[in-house]
Amino acid sequence: MAHLVELRTVYKIYGEGLESEVRALDGVSLTIEKGEFVAVVGQSGSGKSTMMNVLGCLDIPTRGDYFLDGTDVRELTDKELSLIRNKQIGFIFQQYNLIQSLTVLENVELPLIYQGINADDRHDMAMEALERVGLAGRVKHKPTEMSGGQQQRVAIARAIATKPPIIMADEPTGALDSHTGHEVLQFLQQLNREGSTVILITHDNGIAATARRIVRLQDGKIVKDEVQEVDWL
Amino acid sequence: MNIRQAVKMAWKSILGKKGRSVLTMLGIIIGIAAVMTIVSAMNGYTEKTMEQYAAMGSNQLTVSIYSWMVDEDGNSMAKDYFPDLYDYCNGIKDYVMGITPTGSFSATVVYGTKNSSNMQYSYDEQGNPTGDFPPSLYLGSDQYSICNNLTVQKGRDLTALDSSRYNQVCVMGAMAAKTFFGSVDPVGKTLQVNGQNFDVVGVYAARMGEDSGSGRYIDNFIVFPYTANRLLGSEVSSEFVVKARSADAMVEASSRIGGFLKGLVNTNTGGYNVYPQNQWQQYQNEQMGMISLVLGGIAAISLLVGGIGIMNIMLVTVTERTREIGIRRAIGAQRSSIVTQFLIEAAMLCGIGGIFGILLGTAGSLVVGKLMFQMTIYPAAWITACAFSLSVALGIVFGIYPAVKASNLQPVEALRAE
Repeated sequence: MAHLVELRTVYKIYGEGLESEVRALDGVSLTIEKGEFVAVVGQSGSGKSTMMNVLGCLDIPTRGDYFLDGTDVRELTDKELSLIRNKQIGFIFQQYNLIQSLTVLENVELPLIYQGINADDRHDMAMEALERVGLAGRVKHKPTEMSGGQQQRVAIARAIATKPPIIMADEPTGALDSHTGHEVLQFLQQLNREGSTVILITHDNGIAATARRIVRLQDGKIVKDEVQEVDWL
Repeated sequence: MNIRQAVKMAWKSILGKKGRSVLTMLGIIIGIAAVMTIVSAMNGYTEKTMEQYAAMGSNQLTVSIYSWMVDEDGNSMAKDYFPDLYDYCNGIKDYVMGITPTGSFSATVVYGTKNSSNMQYSYDEQGNPTGDFPPSLYLGSDQYSICNNLTVQKGRDLTALDSSRYNQVCVMGAMAAKTFFGSVDPVGKTLQVNGQNFDVVGVYAARMGEDSGSGRYIDNFIVFPYTANRLLGSEVSSEFVVKARSADAMVEASSRIGGFLKGLVNTNTGGYNVYPQNQWQQYQNEQMGMISLVLGGIAAISLLVGGIGIMNIMLVTVTERTREIGIRRAIGAQRSSIVTQFLIEAAMLCGIGGIFGILLGTAGSLVVGKLMFQMTIYPAAWITACAFSLSVALGIVFGIYPAVKASNLQPVEALRAE
């Protein structure tokens, strides 16, 4: 059976051939299996965000192959990539990335709208996700009326509303205090226990400790890839 | 993503920035209002004049005979050709229904307290006619009514005997009868025209409703036997109207009458003309068409400017919402969904502007109709429909570039935007 995620000597190079050429990813190979909880750790500039963009089909590698569940991502059209982002991956960002003009419920419904799900089912699915993050009572609020922790929970609800097999979290606790950050990590572990594959991008070794597997990036290369004892929260 | 969702999103986004949306729409509102006003005022005017011409009758030829000879007082020495022409025309009945002089004259008409010299064309602030208008006075033959699409409603028509016996009689148009007699039956009453007594022998039915406005003009007249010109001191009429049986008959009648006049009129001392009456009308329509075209062009430019305004604002919106676009793309929006979203937003913005423009344009054409033509002109349904479609189309045309630009943003780049 194919790996869930497979990078084969992937390069992402900005300004290739120029003197100022930057190799954000410099020949990275990585496989991730279904059900894993992987932390990608590295200093700022190590290429971890680029890795997340490539893994999340938001960006195309300059060279190398990326197979997602056996599919060669480089072969896909923009439309197919959109569908993968919509159905296979749930994104959680450091800055929450909620749409400010929409209510909490509308934000969570958005990926379901792009799936073409009818209004009733959409509402039920979004409410289910919001209940899971404990925000079912605040669905009519705008994101700006909520605390950072609450906004991040809305973002998590949006990520899980479509029940995607992969959750990608890019510094999900970066803008939160340690207590709410703790809750978010706990929730990611919970999702992983229920079968989701979680890929967590962070610069913080303490946060990385919540993952079973740590992939350490430095200057666009994987310098360490090890399995550890999990710090269950 | 279906259209219903896109419409909902667009509506939200427009409502979210009310002030800006209104300002953006202003260009479209003004443009559509201008186009509406011009097109519907011109269209309304043309339609109403057509109605008037239709009421007065079609298939008319105008025959004019002129002379350069004048006597020592400067009066025309033109011969009275009418009896000859009358006989000739009544000899070609296959083509001609009737002939009458069309000369009008001015005189003071008095009945009781009503005096035409006290009447004038006056309008209130809305441009509605007020008070009594002075009647037009015509000299006609017994065929005046045939030539002018008139039917007798009360009493009798003029007869050939009225002319040959110099009878001091007259027949009144519906509006003139109303002006002088109100609800009293005018038949048998006597009018004083320049001090001479004329008996009213009949009243013609109205050709147009009084409410139409036009009725106040075209049914406000009194016809006298043409031979009354001696009593009334007006000149011999040199212009005649011939009513042909059909458009084809008109062509034939025109050439026959021309041939007859060629032998009758001395071309050394004068001449003659035979031409279809609607010639002038055609000329007038062409003029109106030209004016409409020029004004419409100016209005179209204002619409173009409005459209560019829409494009400008949509580009700003796309830039402002780059991050939102990135988020949408990240969670699965396809390019087509982004294009649809922004296109519908532009189309809705223009559509709403169009509705306000139509309201303003309707008011505009009412005002212009009143001020310029003394008519109540409501825009035709097709003009309203066209104006709305046009405004939506403008939104789509000028929305395409910003929408495509939005959809071409790379998700990664867009997400980085502040």
